[in-house]
Amino acid sequence: METSKREDSDHSAEFDAETKPESFKGREWIDLLVIGGGFLLLVPILSTHRVTDFMIFCIFAMSFDLMYGYMGRLSFGHLLYLGTGAYCCGLFIKYVSGNPWLAIFVGIVSAAMLGMLLGPIIVRTTGACFALINLAFNQVGFFLVLSPLKTITNGEDGFGVHASSFAFFNPASKASMYFFVFFCLLLVFYILKRITFSPFGIMIRSIKEDENRVRFLGYNTYFHKWVTFALAAAIAGLAGTLTALNYNYVNPNVMDVHSNVGVVFACLIGGAGTLYGAIVGSLAYMLISNFLPIYIQRWEMFLGITMLLIIFRFRKGIWGYVVEYLEKRRQLREPIKEIA
Amino acid sequence: MIYTILYGFTIGAILYFISIGLSLTFGTMRVINFAHTLTYSLGVYMLVTFVGLLKGSFIPASILAIAVVIPVSYVIERFIIRRLYGESVDYTFIATFAVTLIGVDSIKWIWGVLPQPMSDPLGVYMTLGRFTFPLYRIIIVIVAVVLFFALELFFRKTIVGKIVVAALEDEEGVRCLGVSVTKYFSLVFVLGSALAALGGVLYAPISSIHPYMGLSILLLAFAVVIVGGMGNLRGTFISAFTLGMVMSLTARYWSQGAETMVFIVMAIVLIFKPIDI
Repeated sequence: METSKREDSDHSAEFDAETKPESFKGREWIDLLVIGGGFLLLVPILSTHRVTDFMIFCIFAMSFDLMYGYMGRLSFGHLLYLGTGAYCCGLFIKYVSGNPWLAIFVGIVSAAMLGMLLGPIIVRTTGACFALINLAFNQVGFFLVLSPLKTITNGEDGFGVHASSFAFFNPASKASMYFFVFFCLLLVFYILKRITFSPFGIMIRSIKEDENRVRFLGYNTYFHKWVTFALAAAIAGLAGTLTALNYNYVNPNVMDVHSNVGVVFACLIGGAGTLYGAIVGSLAYMLISNFLPIYIQRWEMFLGITMLLIIFRFRKGIWGYVVEYLEKRRQLREPIKEIA
Repeated sequence: MIYTILYGFTIGAILYFISIGLSLTFGTMRVINFAHTLTYSLGVYMLVTFVGLLKGSFIPASILAIAVVIPVSYVIERFIIRRLYGESVDYTFIATFAVTLIGVDSIKWIWGVLPQPMSDPLGVYMTLGRFTFPLYRIIIVIVAVVLFFALELFFRKTIVGKIVVAALEDEEGVRCLGVSVTKYFSLVFVLGSALAALGGVLYAPISSIHPYMGLSILLLAFAVVIVGGMGNLRGTFISAFTLGMVMSLTARYWSQGAETMVFIVMAIVLIFKPIDI
């Protein structure tokens, strides 16, 4: 991958300005501490179960952000992979063994396999076509678990998932589940951070900027897009298995096509293209969707209006404005330092 | 079997009505219009209301319903889509989806979540030899075919239609000739939305009416547009009827798999003919 350093000059300069790799070097641990501390602090404020739910959604939003924010491909059917993970994990526990570790492994692998299988078809398209074909596949998946596979998935009613305890991890206990999801979140964050700052990450960001140029430079963009797609699917699958274990229950709602709007909204409100943005956005979305319906009945309308506002006025999202503010502060402080 | 074919033609006709607007808006404005769901369902709900008000006279009620949809779609075009010209397709997609969310929620607010009743407005059956057809379905197919020829005529013979066709080919070129393309774009958008409402109005008596009814049919219409080619009117016509036939033939042998089969066909088409947007 070392050849990717030899990008054409204005592009690499642009990316250096954007990513500032030197300032992030060795700071992953600080990031992990900040996120971990944040989620530990949330527990006393909200309930444990709710925070676990939030963290699972964060994992899902980060996998979506890898595709939307980093690779620039908006998918409206990412829940398919979450649902696949959830169903495969649940079915494994129901029919084969109650070992949660194995079930999680099976869930991730099956979601990744599905991503690899559908990937070659899906990544050929771009823009809205990409979104639509994902949506279509999601609809097919939803329909498959709803009726043709009814005998094993129990259709609309879903089925219970009761995993046994194994090797420090007991899905039945809320605290154990919380810490497991907590470490999953940190692990996913760390892995994605490493990936997005590696030459591979620069490559997928270049694909977002201008795919044709990358192809002219001699790279196989399909392969990179396919790998990213499969990776995003695998992480979504992880989020799915955690959902199944957290609720002890799987039903077709986990891959309901309408719910896809949630993750898109989360990425937009947080600011697409940064992992922090995905986390902040999913927290904001989960807070809205958990607490707003208590006060306002028409919360879907509220969601729609907020989305329009973000699209027209605040495209950078919460995290984008935080970064901008910090940058301004830094710029204001720097000349003073020089004088001193 | 002959019923299956008739059913396929009916579905194809409905899909045709809905896909034209999508295909046109995409071809001219490069916008994937998710708000089509809204205009479709709004047309249907307006029809339900007007049929109630006019005590069952179907044709005036449907004309009124379509007349209500036209200003709504103009507002959507003027205030949402026109602001997003030239932006990335993702943003327009999300924005129109947001419009749909707002609209569907308003429909739920005004009419409630429960499915609305609506019966076949004709209830007349036509007997042909050994078979009896519901006349209504035949009328739908005839309307679709008439509409196809009317649109062909409109796009080939009138100056407005010619401008739109030219803009489908090369928008910049038309703009260079001094034609205010935006005006024609909003016309195309309103036309597409009105046709979606017409599709909804015609389909309402033979389907169930609920706030999310637009979504599943919109997915099918997207499949039609992808198979037929974005902005290709004849392609849309052919693919609408082909996919309608695929649906009804699948439904005959495997009733739940009908919609899935359409997406499988779409995936196969995309494998052999990827679309660059």
